[in-house]
Amino acid sequence: MIEVKNLTYRYGTRPVLEGLNFTIEEGGFYAVMGANGSGKTTLLRLVSGMLTPQEGEVVVDGTNVQHYKARELAQRMSFVRQHPQTDFEFSAFETVLMGRNPYQRHLQNESERDWKIVEQCMRQTNTWHLRFARPSEMSGGELQRVMLARALAQQTPIMLLDEPISNLDISHQFDILDLLRTINREEHKTVLIVLHDLNMALQYCQKLLLLHQGQVLYKGDMREGLTAERIATVFGVKAEVGEEGSIRLSRL
Amino acid sequence: MGPWYAVLTVVLLAVMLFSARVGAVRFTWEEMWQSPIFWNLRLPRIILSVLVGAALSVCGAAYQSIFRNPLTDPYVLGISSGASLGAAVAILLGLQTFLLGVGACALATGILTILIIYRIASIGNRMHATTLLLTGVCLTFLISAVISFLMVLHQDKMDSIIFWTMGSFASASWVDVAFVAPVVVAGTAVVVYYGRDLNLLLAGSETAKSLGVEVEKVKKRLLLVTTLMVAFCVSTCGVIGFVGLVVPHCIRLVAGPDNRRVVPLAVLVGGTFLLLCDTLARTLMIPAELPVGCLTALVGAPLFIYLLYKNKKTY
Repeated sequence: MIEVKNLTYRYGTRPVLEGLNFTIEEGGFYAVMGANGSGKTTLLRLVSGMLTPQEGEVVVDGTNVQHYKARELAQRMSFVRQHPQTDFEFSAFETVLMGRNPYQRHLQNESERDWKIVEQCMRQTNTWHLRFARPSEMSGGELQRVMLARALAQQTPIMLLDEPISNLDISHQFDILDLLRTINREEHKTVLIVLHDLNMALQYCQKLLLLHQGQVLYKGDMREGLTAERIATVFGVKAEVGEEGSIRLSRL
Repeated sequence: MGPWYAVLTVVLLAVMLFSARVGAVRFTWEEMWQSPIFWNLRLPRIILSVLVGAALSVCGAAYQSIFRNPLTDPYVLGISSGASLGAAVAILLGLQTFLLGVGACALATGILTILIIYRIASIGNRMHATTLLLTGVCLTFLISAVISFLMVLHQDKMDSIIFWTMGSFASASWVDVAFVAPVVVAGTAVVVYYGRDLNLLLAGSETAKSLGVEVEKVKKRLLLVTTLMVAFCVSTCGVIGFVGLVVPHCIRLVAGPDNRRVVPLAVLVGGTFLLLCDTLARTLMIPAELPVGCLTALVGAPLFIYLLYKNKKTY
């Protein structure tokens, strides 16, 4: 369970998030949505403990994220970042194997079990054929799937994903969201995913966390929450929400 | 990887034996074991150059991961020069008979250098690659200017100071070996211990943290340990450049980027490399001696330029 209490973050004097309060229940599948600059990435970085808030706190399973040891937190929560950094040339397999780090002691090598988990995660994300590839040899979408595989290899009950499908072709977008939905249902994992595609969010996520101007505009059921008025307020576009759960967008 | 370690250890031992026999005085095997030149001059010099070569290479590999920049090493970052300033000041204060005093001064200025570099080159929690290198180069200029100034002021001690700025094993003794060896062995053990953390640091601080690395703690410890190693090495043999750049880079070409392999291999390859350079330095122009830093720079600087050229887009 993730409890966000009075969370405030400013870059310099510019406030990004102001006094956020909400709770993410265990096993929730949330789309985090909002316009550019609405604080989605900042929120995820705060929840993951990467950033320290100026005010308020994020409590995960009863403990403030800032108080966890890095290893313990990495066993509870994985984070797929928007822009993976890859300066040195580890192969995709080695990269995914890093996801097993929270479970290993110093000077201890990966076990056969770790290798099996890595293989399974790479097959799930359709990256096993890329296992020997270096980052410079991979496309943006392939790299994004490798990063997702690494997060899966962490086997955490909570997964935070910052635009994990932005570089993927449409078929891989479906694959990844299908996969996330499956593990959410079968393994009861909590998923917070930043998405831009309203239709994808509507189709896959039960819950919506809608950010607007540093505040939570809506948190709750996706179908109830994603109304034409809210879409107009947040994104400034006209939306027609169809009966069968699809959204047609046009300029206001 | 097992056979590699064995082969490289044999190569290192072979180069040590070869180096022991050649020089201004050439030995046969029988003469060698009985000669005081071998026991008192050549052997400590050989062991010291192996230790320093290993230390600089291990530190280079560590800095490259911590700063996430393949072009860094103790010399390029200015840490060696920083330490040499402390050593020079210690000599002026008359501390040269007391190696620990020189080492402590070198460590202090080495750490100061790292703090300055960190201050200038870090933007948020990222190090800017170009700023990092430029800071190192500028600090080196600044420090060599200060040392030149000190030399002019104290011309009587010029010889012993000049030695620090050019790098040489000519005065190596068993005392130096006893001084450097524990630090190099313990320091290398610490870097090996954090091998996987170094790999994860390459993915960036935030990613490393989300994968379970206590980023700030690990970085601080490693920077302290590596700077200690550099400072102690500099205290005995002066500033020798580019070893920490050349060796890890060559290892990565063959063994890949995993620091759990790169660091132990850097011990063997780095030791062999610097010993070879020093052996050449004292045998190429007998009876004169070349500064060993001159030879390492002849190998290292072109490699540095090549790496800059290859990574033109990134830097």
